[in-house]
Amino acid sequence: MDKNMKILVVDDFSTMRRIVKNLLRELGFTNLDEADDGQTALPKLKAGSYDFLVTDWNMPGMTGIELLKAVRANPDTANMPVLMVTAESKREQIIEAAQAGVNGYIIKPFTAATLKEKLDKIFERNAS
Amino acid sequence: MENGEKRDELLIKAKKLVAYIEEGNEQAAEETLNSMTITREQNLFNEVGQLTRQLHDNLASFASEGQLTELTDKEIPDAKERLNYVLKLTDEAATTTLNAIDDILPVTDKMQKTSEALSKKWRKFVGRELSLTEFRAMSGEITEFLDASCENSDFVHKKSNEIVMAQGFQDLTGQIITKVIVLVQEVEESLVNLVRIAGSQKNEAEDIVIHKKEALEGPLVPGIEVEGAVNNQDDVDDLLSSLGF
Repeated sequence: MDKNMKILVVDDFSTMRRIVKNLLRELGFTNLDEADDGQTALPKLKAGSYDFLVTDWNMPGMTGIELLKAVRANPDTANMPVLMVTAESKREQIIEAAQAGVNGYIIKPFTAATLKEKLDKIFERNAS
Repeated sequence: MENGEKRDELLIKAKKLVAYIEEGNEQAAEETLNSMTITREQNLFNEVGQLTRQLHDNLASFASEGQLTELTDKEIPDAKERLNYVLKLTDEAATTTLNAIDDILPVTDKMQKTSEALSKKWRKFVGRELSLTEFRAMSGEITEFLDASCENSDFVHKKSNEIVMAQGFQDLTGQIITKVIVLVQEVEESLVNLVRIAGSQKNEAEDIVIHKKEALEGPLVPGIEVEGAVNNQDDVDDLLSSLGF
């Protein structure tokens, strides 16, 4: 796993952005950026050079699922791994995210160990 | 026309009443007066009856929209559960944070004291004021201190991470409180509608459209059943692996 990969963390709550960034830093990732909803994230992603997206679902403006679909619809970002970290826990939502092409799904509240496990899994799969 | 008839009838009775009083026929005067009052009361009763019926119909149609019933039967008790859960989450976060700090402070205090003591000895050593025996003792203390420093830094780091994770409550409680605010607004609108219906004409109830947004469910709250929701991360993992993940 490339620890220099550029990661975008999207959540409307700044505390959660800080927590996720903190955990990622803890795991050795240093190239971190953030956005507070899909609408602000999308232009950043389009501007390019992000390797990984971590996003919440429930956000004003543009939700995480809409962001995921937009990312998959754009040829430049279609293959970017996306991890959803959200309080949304309905089965139909998880299925919707899976069908939209999410690479991992974590429900809040979560632990540092869960985040690490999902990251390992995503990048293991992507590497093979 | 009906009003005209009523007026004529009233006029006839009034004239009779005057005549009876002039004649000094008290009994007949009393009867006429009573019959006049009864007609009046009858009208009043009819009107009140009509209003009552209207109010009843309107309330019934309002209730059949299900809004008020759902609010009182489900959403308000749910809101109580949600707010209780907010209390619990904030309490847990505060406890976790304070516990971690309780664990950290003695460690940093001890390190501070040890480094202060060592620092004094070190200065004496630099100033060549230390005997060989004292130097040997200091040397041992420094080794011990360095080992402890490594261990303690790890410990403080671990505890700091616990504090960071505990702040996740802010996101979850924020989402829950936002939902309750929406509910309070809905209750307010419902009450305003109710007042409007109570004071309005029949058809107005039909105009009231409840614009309840298709809302996301938000954080799981113990005690609130959400149809089709998973319970934990393991459920999510199982579901995803059943989908070929």
